[in-house]
Amino acid sequence: METLMVDRVQSSLRLFMNRNAIFLCERLCAEFPSELNLQLLATCYLRNNQAYCAYHILKGSKMPQSRYLFAMSCFQMNLLREAEAALCPANEPNAEVPNGAAGHYLLGLIYRYTGRRTCAVDHFVQALGIDPLLWAAYEELCILEEASEYFNDAAAFRVQQQQLSESSSQNLTIGTEYQSLPSSMALGSGDTSPRHSKQLHANNTRETLSHPHGTVMAAGHPTISGPSNISQYYTPPAVAQLSGVAPPPLCRNAHLYLNAIGGDGSTKSNVNAAIQAPRRKFVDEGKLRKVSGRLFSDSGPRRSTRLSGEAAANTNSNASQLGGNGTNHSSAKYLGGLYSSSSSSKTNSTVLRSVTLRRGQPWANENFDEDNTVTTSSSMSALPDGKCLEQDKMGCGILAHDSRLTSGIREFLGLLRTLGEGYRLSCLYRSQEALEVYLRLSQHQFNTGWVLSQVGKAHFELVDYFEADRFFDLARRVSPYTLEGMDIYSTVLYHLKEEMKLSYLAQELISVDRLSPQAWCAMGNCYGRQNDHETALKNFQRAVHLDPRFAYAHTLCGHEYVALEDFENGIKCYQSSLQVDERHYNAWYGLGIVYLRQEKFEFAEHHFRKAFHINPRSSVLMCYLGMALHSLKRDEDALEVMEKAISADKKNPLPVYQKANILSSLERFDEALKELEQLKECAPRESSVYALMGKIYKRLNMHEKAMFYFGLALDLKPPAADVATIKSAMEKLYLPDELEDTL
Amino acid sequence: MATESDGEEDTAGKLTGSRHLDVDDDLREMAKKAAWSVSSCKPGNGVLALRDDNLDTYWQSDGAQPHLVNIQFQKKVKLQLLVLYVDFNVDESYTPSKISIRAGDGFHNLKEIKTVELVKPVGWVHIPLSGTDPRETFIHTFMLQLAVLSNHLNGRDTHVRQIKIYGPRPNPVPHQPFHFISKEFITYSTLR
Repeated sequence: METLMVDRVQSSLRLFMNRNAIFLCERLCAEFPSELNLQLLATCYLRNNQAYCAYHILKGSKMPQSRYLFAMSCFQMNLLREAEAALCPANEPNAEVPNGAAGHYLLGLIYRYTGRRTCAVDHFVQALGIDPLLWAAYEELCILEEASEYFNDAAAFRVQQQQLSESSSQNLTIGTEYQSLPSSMALGSGDTSPRHSKQLHANNTRETLSHPHGTVMAAGHPTISGPSNISQYYTPPAVAQLSGVAPPPLCRNAHLYLNAIGGDGSTKSNVNAAIQAPRRKFVDEGKLRKVSGRLFSDSGPRRSTRLSGEAAANTNSNASQLGGNGTNHSSAKYLGGLYSSSSSSKTNSTVLRSVTLRRGQPWANENFDEDNTVTTSSSMSALPDGKCLEQDKMGCGILAHDSRLTSGIREFLGLLRTLGEGYRLSCLYRSQEALEVYLRLSQHQFNTGWVLSQVGKAHFELVDYFEADRFFDLARRVSPYTLEGMDIYSTVLYHLKEEMKLSYLAQELISVDRLSPQAWCAMGNCYGRQNDHETALKNFQRAVHLDPRFAYAHTLCGHEYVALEDFENGIKCYQSSLQVDERHYNAWYGLGIVYLRQEKFEFAEHHFRKAFHINPRSSVLMCYLGMALHSLKRDEDALEVMEKAISADKKNPLPVYQKANILSSLERFDEALKELEQLKECAPRESSVYALMGKIYKRLNMHEKAMFYFGLALDLKPPAADVATIKSAMEKLYLPDELEDTL
Repeated sequence: MATESDGEEDTAGKLTGSRHLDVDDDLREMAKKAAWSVSSCKPGNGVLALRDDNLDTYWQSDGAQPHLVNIQFQKKVKLQLLVLYVDFNVDESYTPSKISIRAGDGFHNLKEIKTVELVKPVGWVHIPLSGTDPRETFIHTFMLQLAVLSNHLNGRDTHVRQIKIYGPRPNPVPHQPFHFISKEFITYSTLR
């Protein structure tokens, strides 16, 4: 009876019937109380976004897996101290962290959010040591600026070891697998290696745990990994064939699947069938692993909402319209979806059909796909060879497999290395170099939502808004449901004053996911652009509520407070933003602006300089630093910085204007006028340029010219404040300068 | 500067009010954080009705003329325009006819800056606070007082449905002599 109940619970979980699972599992635990069953129940709760339930039932459990699930629940409830205690009990300093890489990753996150940077780094490094393909840990290291070469040959070796040990255990179990597969779910052979399970966890964790912090840098994996991965499967000429997963069930299901989808040629069917392979592999594990596998794929609350929303809404046709390899998309997505459900082949067809409807878990798929590349590529090549003959080949093929395995691994690591390098550089704000690295990617990898977003972001950091706009637009075209990085896109549109595009973007994002901070940031930017600061502030506060660990939302709140002249709250917001992410240079900049307005010039300079150190390529930051220096009367330094700003970005007119301003205050009028003449060429409709020229001519007592330029300035219809200033300047034109007070 | 729509001003100084609130984009409402008070009011029709963005609620005074609305700011502000909503058709003898606007640092040194006469106004009445001198586009003040000196048909008490006060927006780029208006400048003028 116990096995039957366990079986039902797990199949419910696989099919996302969470309430059914919970009910049955509660009966199971009542009938057969055991820690394993408790773990299963906790998994059901976590799946159903009821972390608090899981928390209560697992409190005090000692088994490693229980501790891990407990820590997970604590983490979701933001009880970081307890989570840490669970993973790292105080009275057992040498206890091994449960679940290896995943456990270390979770621990690293906890340390990061409680401000213990070195410990965090240490754990992420350990996580990567255990599972070299744990991208999320690498990402965290980049954010903490501690990343270095991880996806290198040592890593390749380790992955190879893992795969080999897996494959050997696979060979052993292949017989039993084959027989038991078509019939039951809870397959006995659970003797796969521990690392194998870690990998599963790692894979799944990566995807979910990267969610909680949800910063812009968070795992924004390519949504359209479909085409890329498929080509990936084909690139390694002799793809390593992991212990051939028994074909006959595959065959059968492949057919079913093909019928269900209306396949688009062998590629898709191969991939689809391949999908089943790794799943089956993991099916054979003990229920623990299955449980945890599913656990991680759904513990991110936002993701779950999205999942439930999108699962219902999406159809095959939608999937097929994405990108060139439309149908391949869907198959790749199935990959991700299927992987996360880790179902057995028995329920394959149903699962597949239900999963075909799933779409748009942007970061999920890449993760799984990347991971699966190595593991599934084997099965890929298996299929064309005559599915039903696989088993025979298995024995003799193993040696040949190893070499293909190696090359496959190396290829995969090469990809991760490039992506990792690009990401690392962009975290260090060495955006130009990051761009160069990203360009090294293959065409199909480049044209994925994540990469295009990253490229767009790099351009944004370089203050190249036009290029950023272009790339973000491409990213949206390629994967319209990606939300990562869209807040930056909305800022780009804000700067470009593209109000239509911005409001369209905001509307679209809200319709995709009303609970994502990025959507509300975009909305807020929309209102901010129209100077409706109160509404903008409300929207940004909503974003903050949705995800307090999203640094940019805090910064944007700060900007709006400052626009409303509420400096105290503005400073508070900027400081919260910096608490989340110390390297968020926008917040440093915001603080600089506040102090500039409050005329605390030293503070202003200090903050601008900090911002500048973080992002030394931004000409706007340099300009403001110069302005602060000018206010401190350090005009020589100011001019030097302005020169740097001017050379950094030819398209930015502001440093030139500021330089002219500084020069005119230093009474170097001719030089100032020269700069302004230049500006006149590139920004002919800017009234402030003419107004400043008029002012300078006035100081030079060239009254006719002054009048002329003031007139020009007025013709361009500046705002009322300027009109008043200019007009009064014109009136006082013939008065001697001593009587002049404001101008 | 507020644009006065046709029909609002029959003769110099006499205003009739327009249907729409017509304010330039480079002005913003200034009195959200100010302290509002009135000389007298009927219970249920107090000072809050002047700021609730609801044209159906009104302030009704309950004392001797002149009826006063006092607006005190936290710091010296530049003001350019005062707009009030009154409706002769509904309020008849409660509609103000002569309004005086005073400004100063506090109750002790208020000085009249403008007087306007309203003639059967229906809708928003835009009262620019500037003088003819371009240097005086704005008034720089701590406090503003709106005094209703007399009503239509010699009514004793007055109804005012809404009051808004406008001033210039601050320059988003601090410490600049002039605003930036062109797209090229605005794109690069701030970071977000």
